[in-house]
Amino acid sequence: MSVFQHDYRPYEGPTTALWKRPLVLARYGLAEAWGSKITIGLAVLALLPCIVDMVLMYLADNPLAKMLVMGGGNKILEINERFFFGMLETQCWFALVLAAWIAPRLISFDLGDNALPILLSHPVSRFGYVLGKFIALTVSLSYVTWIPLLVLFVYQCYSSPVPWGMGHLGIAFGLFFGAAVWIVVLSLIGLAVASWVKWRVIATGAMFAVIFVPAGIGGIASAILRTKWGLLLNVPVVMSELWQRLVGAPDVFRGKVDLPNGAIVGVLIAASLMCVAVLNARIRAREVVRG
Amino acid sequence: MGVIALDRLEVRLGGRTVLNGLTGELRGHAVGLLGPNGAGKSTLINTLLGFHEPAGGSAKVLGLDARTDRMRIRQSVGYMPENDSFIGNMSGVRFVRYMAELSGLPPAAALERAHEALFYVGLGEVRYRKISTYSLGMKQLIKLAQALAHGPKLLILDEPTNGLDPTARQRMVQLIKEIRKEGSMHMLISSHLLRDIDETCDEVLILNKGRIAAISNIEEERRSHRNFIEMEMTGNTEAFTTKMQAMGCECARFAGGRVKVVMPDALSQRDLYVTAAEAGAEIRRIQTRRDSLEDIFLRAMEYEGGRVEHVSLPA
Repeated sequence: MSVFQHDYRPYEGPTTALWKRPLVLARYGLAEAWGSKITIGLAVLALLPCIVDMVLMYLADNPLAKMLVMGGGNKILEINERFFFGMLETQCWFALVLAAWIAPRLISFDLGDNALPILLSHPVSRFGYVLGKFIALTVSLSYVTWIPLLVLFVYQCYSSPVPWGMGHLGIAFGLFFGAAVWIVVLSLIGLAVASWVKWRVIATGAMFAVIFVPAGIGGIASAILRTKWGLLLNVPVVMSELWQRLVGAPDVFRGKVDLPNGAIVGVLIAASLMCVAVLNARIRAREVVRG
Repeated sequence: MGVIALDRLEVRLGGRTVLNGLTGELRGHAVGLLGPNGAGKSTLINTLLGFHEPAGGSAKVLGLDARTDRMRIRQSVGYMPENDSFIGNMSGVRFVRYMAELSGLPPAAALERAHEALFYVGLGEVRYRKISTYSLGMKQLIKLAQALAHGPKLLILDEPTNGLDPTARQRMVQLIKEIRKEGSMHMLISSHLLRDIDETCDEVLILNKGRIAAISNIEEERRSHRNFIEMEMTGNTEAFTTKMQAMGCECARFAGGRVKVVMPDALSQRDLYVTAAEAGAEIRRIQTRRDSLEDIFLRAMEYEGGRVEHVSLPA
């Protein structure tokens, strides 16, 4: 084809490798996600706590500034595991808000306009499709979770008046893995919910419901049955426990909750598998009606 | 090697056998896929694209197995689905570029081809508009553009004229003819409109109740220039057709005294009048015409057997 002659001409140029096709989906997904002003606004909002934390670090690491601003009181400005645990929690909950907004944009448009038959008629598998969207979502969430957290960690290493980094490398690992586990689970939940609910606004609401409704049910079950196991349905509690242990922060819930590591991992794996099952059922080029 | 080769292909969906033992080879440049609603046309296309797993037998597209070489088939195929299928909040050019990139074109080449494809199908002027604002005809054309953009070896069009007004339909048929004439790709066109297939295809596969009712080379049929005689009669048409059959003719009677006759070379039209007079029938109107796809289709629909029949009307 040429624009000038309006004739068809076959394509004889090079083609990309098959494994790169999910990256095309990821690239277009990212463009779709970040093409919204609301996404930009949420991302900026999510970075505000990081700026506050950076200022606090500066104050904590600069004796003169600390003396001027805090008058010598340094209890609340101790940069330690607890401090980074708080940062991790804050950023991860911002990630939930961002995921609730972005995930439906990635999938609902395709489902709403019945684009799956046309998308999957190209050389990309269902797994490749989900992988592409998953990459787009995890990259978006990384932007507000482990990336700024590790930047702050590096800043702390740099600005601390005493050698700090090597002695606290566990915090960096905790920040990265804690955020990584959360964004993986969150991405799977987000994609599963978005694939189930075609309406974007409803999907955004459903995302919060999926996180918080089981928490309420778990709380009721715990209260009635007088057991701690109901808390396994409480994602905020489960994730706090996990983050706290990964970062090495002092126990906040221990004595009240004390969920075993195996149970926490089991719940997260079970939730992820349920999401994969939903995606497997919903992401299809053609639906088959039984009967 | 045929474009599509089916070997005892069986597809079961939702506990029902939708395609039952399809066997045949399609070699035409533009193959029409005909059949009434529910015959299995779309299921066959979906199976060729790897959307449905065959329960038995095999299907090959361009020599590639539909079960094991799905990705390579999809690489070589451009597919225009029957129903609305697009991303409404994307502009036309962005959507076609996206699809071309998914087919493996590098981004720059994909963008160039997207522009070209949109101009080719006649959407050049509206390519920056969101697809959700397109009319039904435009939506059909953008589906065709995305199917063409990566230069496939086989173009699968599922009901391409569905919902189009006469002008848009004519434009679509003309485009299909141009693509066929260009000759670099094969086409499989599914439709329940005989006229569309008649105008665009050189071979036809007719499905009925999940079985192949006929595979016919329309081009050869056209070339054979067989003349058929269609009559409007009164009187004892049954006796007339019995006598004509005894003389070696193929006859079919229809409502309202319509009779179609295929005569052997040895007989002439005069024999019709003589036989009609003998049978107590009167020929009120007589018309000779060439074999048409409609005849092939109707014969295939009457056929209820399970084996493949290469339909051609006797000389």
